[in-house]
Amino acid sequence: MTSWSFTTESYPDHRRLEAWRDALGKLSIEAPDAAGARDVFATAQAMESPLGIVFAQIASGPQRLSYSDDPGIIWLALHCEGQAVLREAGRSSPIAVGDLVYGTAGAPAELLFATSFRQLLVRVPRAAIGARLVAPPAPRVGRLSGRSGLGRVFAQLLASIADTIDTLDADAIRPIEVAVAEFLSVSLAGDRDVGTLMGATATQTATLNRICQKIEARLGDPDLALASVAEQEGVSMRYLQKLFEAAGSSFGEHVRQRRLERCRLDLMNPLYARDSITTICFRWGFNDAAGFSRAFSERFGEPPRRYRRKIAGTISEGVRLQLARGWPLGLDGRAKAPRPLAPAAQADASRGLLARVASGAAARAAGDGRWHHLPATDKTVHWGYFSRSLRPVLHVESGDIVTIETLTQHAYDDHERMIKGDPGAESVFHWTRQRKNIDRRGAGPIDASIYGRGAGEGFGVHICTGPIAIKDAMPGDLIEVRILDLHPRPCANESFAGRTFGSNAAAWWGFHYKELLTEPRPREVVTIYEIGRALDGEIARAVYSFRWTPQTDPFGVVHSTIDYPGVPVDHATIDKQFGVLKEVEIPVRPHFGVIGLAPREIEIVDSIPPTSSGGNIDNWRAGKGARLYLPVAVPGGLLSVGDPHASQGDSELCGTAIECSLTGDFQLILHRRQELAGTKLEDVNYPLLETADEWVVQGFSHANYLAELGERAQSEVYDKSSLDLAMKDAFRKARRFLMTAERLSEDEAISLLSVAVDFGVTQVVDGNWGVHGVIRKRLFADGRR
Amino acid sequence: MRHHTLPVSPATVHWGYFSKAVAPALTLRSGDRATIETLTHHAGDDYERMIAGDPGAESIFRWTREHKAVARRGAGPTEGPFRRGSGEGIGVHLLTGPVAVEEAEPGDVLEVRILDVRPRPSRHASHAGRCFGSNAAASWGFHYHDLIEEPKPREVVTIFELDTSDEPCARAVYNYVWTPQTDPDGVVHPTIDYPGVPVDHRSVRRRENILRNVKVPARLHFGTMGLAPAEADFVSSIPPGYTGGNIDDWRIGKGARMYYPVAVAGGYFSVGDPHAAQGDSELGGTAIEASLTGEFEFVLHKRRALGGTPLEGLTHPLLETDQQWSVYGFTFPNYLAALGPNAQIEVAQHASLDKAMRDAFRKLRRFLMTVHRLSEDEAIALMSVAADFGVTQVVDANWGVHGSIRKSVFT
Repeated sequence: MTSWSFTTESYPDHRRLEAWRDALGKLSIEAPDAAGARDVFATAQAMESPLGIVFAQIASGPQRLSYSDDPGIIWLALHCEGQAVLREAGRSSPIAVGDLVYGTAGAPAELLFATSFRQLLVRVPRAAIGARLVAPPAPRVGRLSGRSGLGRVFAQLLASIADTIDTLDADAIRPIEVAVAEFLSVSLAGDRDVGTLMGATATQTATLNRICQKIEARLGDPDLALASVAEQEGVSMRYLQKLFEAAGSSFGEHVRQRRLERCRLDLMNPLYARDSITTICFRWGFNDAAGFSRAFSERFGEPPRRYRRKIAGTISEGVRLQLARGWPLGLDGRAKAPRPLAPAAQADASRGLLARVASGAAARAAGDGRWHHLPATDKTVHWGYFSRSLRPVLHVESGDIVTIETLTQHAYDDHERMIKGDPGAESVFHWTRQRKNIDRRGAGPIDASIYGRGAGEGFGVHICTGPIAIKDAMPGDLIEVRILDLHPRPCANESFAGRTFGSNAAAWWGFHYKELLTEPRPREVVTIYEIGRALDGEIARAVYSFRWTPQTDPFGVVHSTIDYPGVPVDHATIDKQFGVLKEVEIPVRPHFGVIGLAPREIEIVDSIPPTSSGGNIDNWRAGKGARLYLPVAVPGGLLSVGDPHASQGDSELCGTAIECSLTGDFQLILHRRQELAGTKLEDVNYPLLETADEWVVQGFSHANYLAELGERAQSEVYDKSSLDLAMKDAFRKARRFLMTAERLSEDEAISLLSVAVDFGVTQVVDGNWGVHGVIRKRLFADGRR
Repeated sequence: MRHHTLPVSPATVHWGYFSKAVAPALTLRSGDRATIETLTHHAGDDYERMIAGDPGAESIFRWTREHKAVARRGAGPTEGPFRRGSGEGIGVHLLTGPVAVEEAEPGDVLEVRILDVRPRPSRHASHAGRCFGSNAAASWGFHYHDLIEEPKPREVVTIFELDTSDEPCARAVYNYVWTPQTDPDGVVHPTIDYPGVPVDHRSVRRRENILRNVKVPARLHFGTMGLAPAEADFVSSIPPGYTGGNIDDWRIGKGARMYYPVAVAGGYFSVGDPHAAQGDSELGGTAIEASLTGEFEFVLHKRRALGGTPLEGLTHPLLETDQQWSVYGFTFPNYLAALGPNAQIEVAQHASLDKAMRDAFRKLRRFLMTVHRLSEDEAIALMSVAADFGVTQVVDANWGVHGSIRKSVFT
């Protein structure tokens, strides 16, 4: 299913008319005399069903629209709102709200709107109503009153489609398209102006069409026979036979063809995927499965079983084209759960080397705690997932300080600037035909059996350093992650030595992707930034940008979009645009996008959607000086850090920040559950961020999506993204925080939330969307000290 | 440049609606300044502190069985019988104006600069010189169907005092749970469903010592400010739209410049819904609603002079402050045009932040592409790494998300 939406609000005034005409053009509508009009306001939302039926809701101001389609299309317009007049063949007639206007076989018509209007346009390919109409419709424009009879029921069905068009998904649209095709064929059949059949009068043709509709309703009846139909219609069997003969068919043949067609539709329908072929053929009046199979092969060129497999394959191809993140809907994440992880033997063996205990000044600065250093290498990172089963790469005690190196998963966008000469980065990204140092990237199947993108399928993309086990941490406790300091990772390549670079990808999972204004559409664009010092602090400046081109990874898989992390970008295939974002300087906000503990619910968890144990929160306030409190879900907590960002805005609109490798000094403090009573942290079971001046409570569409959405969580979380839900969650958490941590009554808390707490959009790109509430400490006496 | 003064009186306010059909309270020229008084429509929550002794406020809130000084409150019907009162409370804000700007025509842009904002002190002997405001956690709040304590549901009014001695801040004085109030015409208001109903303090229970030790930093601003839309003669003041109105962004305070597309000749600017403080989202339904007086300067930008300026093609409200630009996304950018005849009622049923976010994205992209001449790819990259999107409000039927870009980004 494909969909698009349009609004003039995307365009400045002088470009709106042209843009609106383009949008109408996609629906074969012209707006002939709107030339020079200003203040054009118009919206359109369209989707195309698997059968090729297009549903489009359009709304705009007074204007004249001209409809003429190619002969293979039947168009149908439900008038939802406003005043309209239909003009065709020199006649004018007013159209009431709820009326349907249709045109067949390319007949032209015009609708004149005197006021603002809203309309649902449906374009149905002739093929979609297939054999239901015995006679092809003549080119004509007609009108069905929406006030009574079938027209009314049909109009109401379409009206509810118009109201819900933005929420219908592929599963929901399937029965609707069948119903629409059905209604349409019945409505056209009742129309006296259908084309006539060879050797039959118009009346005879209309009678035959009517009788065919009656037959349609009884196809499932195995006893459907010529005699009973003739009797019901009050005609002789002989007359009925002659009617079918005139149409070049016979009663028996017509019924058989219609039954086969019904079975074919059911075989295609994912809703009936669990029904056996026998069940389906019995449903439609066949009483012999072997006979059905033969008839089906004869009619459609292959046996039903093979046909069904082929269609299912096309649908999953459709899924592939849809670029879904995570497990595709319909594939049960658990049923195909990846094999348990092998113990990280190498990591364990070399643990002592990897996590050196620092000495000297650094250790003294840490006070009582020890100071560890955790470099980023192929032995100390896991890529694209969290897991309770990973062997820790470092064990620490509460109070210890760890210097953690993190790498951006986007570094291969520019190997020269972000990987070359850096042993840690080189070991993580190493990928040749012979060897891929880190095979699993993401929580998907290791054999890439869903999309074939690569091991782990890129269901999760972030390079996470860790996990770090915190001694004695148990579920119910909180781990406080203090970010004492952070630094960008300097480039190790001689040509750029000491400088720092990052990458921003406007990617297919961005909020903007489906509604780009300029060609080519769609496209992904990578912008490389340099981070440097200016007079008033650190800033980022764009160096160059390029459009993503299909990249072939060392194993030969072609990545036509950014669908797998760490794919080397071959700079011979791209066109670098220098001089982009000239004179733009972005004050940096270095922070870690991912700081999380391992969730309990599932063994291998996609790193993209944030949840109650943290993860990919993508809040830029998690920078130097911040403290993040995370609820422990599994023994040891298992902390991982990654997705380093040089800068990001609230919403992370295009899908990524300035992704830039950073190293941070973290102090890790364990708060045992029993010690929390009476403190502000009592009752914190969600990620809570504290900065010098603020408490930031973090809401998500689903507070804990793994628990809330159950077995299908890892696919549904991407399907149920909503700021409205995230706002609700942020509200509830902020209320709780004010009531428990600040000891306010509910009424006090709500008043304060309204007059003093700021809610902002954290991100709209990570599946589980985020809204945060910022509570300033200085509201309270103890925060003003 | 002339300077005008527009005090509040029944002749200079209209209540609950924007209208191109109301006679202007003041006509001025581009470049003129005006001191404009505004009153909060929640002043009746504590008559003593916010109305008593104040001739302007008393003249407007006067409502006895015999006489209701401002009868129409809202864009609803003015012929009875009424469910709630004339205008039916479809729109609630007391708006001062309209101010007509000479030569303003559809297609032009009106710039309104807020030079200064000050609170309106109480005139009652016991509170003279002090400033008060009211916050109602009301039935239209985001929380209302999601309360956890009994009684459920309930509306709660909190009276705040604004302390301007040091760094301005507000402190709660007391609160009470709304009880059914009978207005002077005998209509009972079980909830806060009609503006300006005098609250009988014998019928409510004051709770003191609330929000102790809490100081809310003041953010003086005007919640509702905008021009008359062209689509209807009487337009509810609640849902914000393409000519501004009830945007409820606390950044629209001192130093702010708002730009509005002119929809009707003269522009017809009105201002009201004064707030002492509000958070992004205005979660409970209202801010600290407190009467304020502002100094405004009006600059008309004629359509022919817009070419090549940041205002070219502007079809929505735009905010400029010293630090940033903000655009306002709404569930419906122009709900009047999008929803047809029943728009003013229907808009509340479609409230969605997801759509508001989409609108804010589109408007900010447009702003960066037209005003800063960025390519689409540059605009999108910049929005992701440097623009902040926040929740303006989730309580005004047409919900809002604002997108802001810091001026310091552009060297």
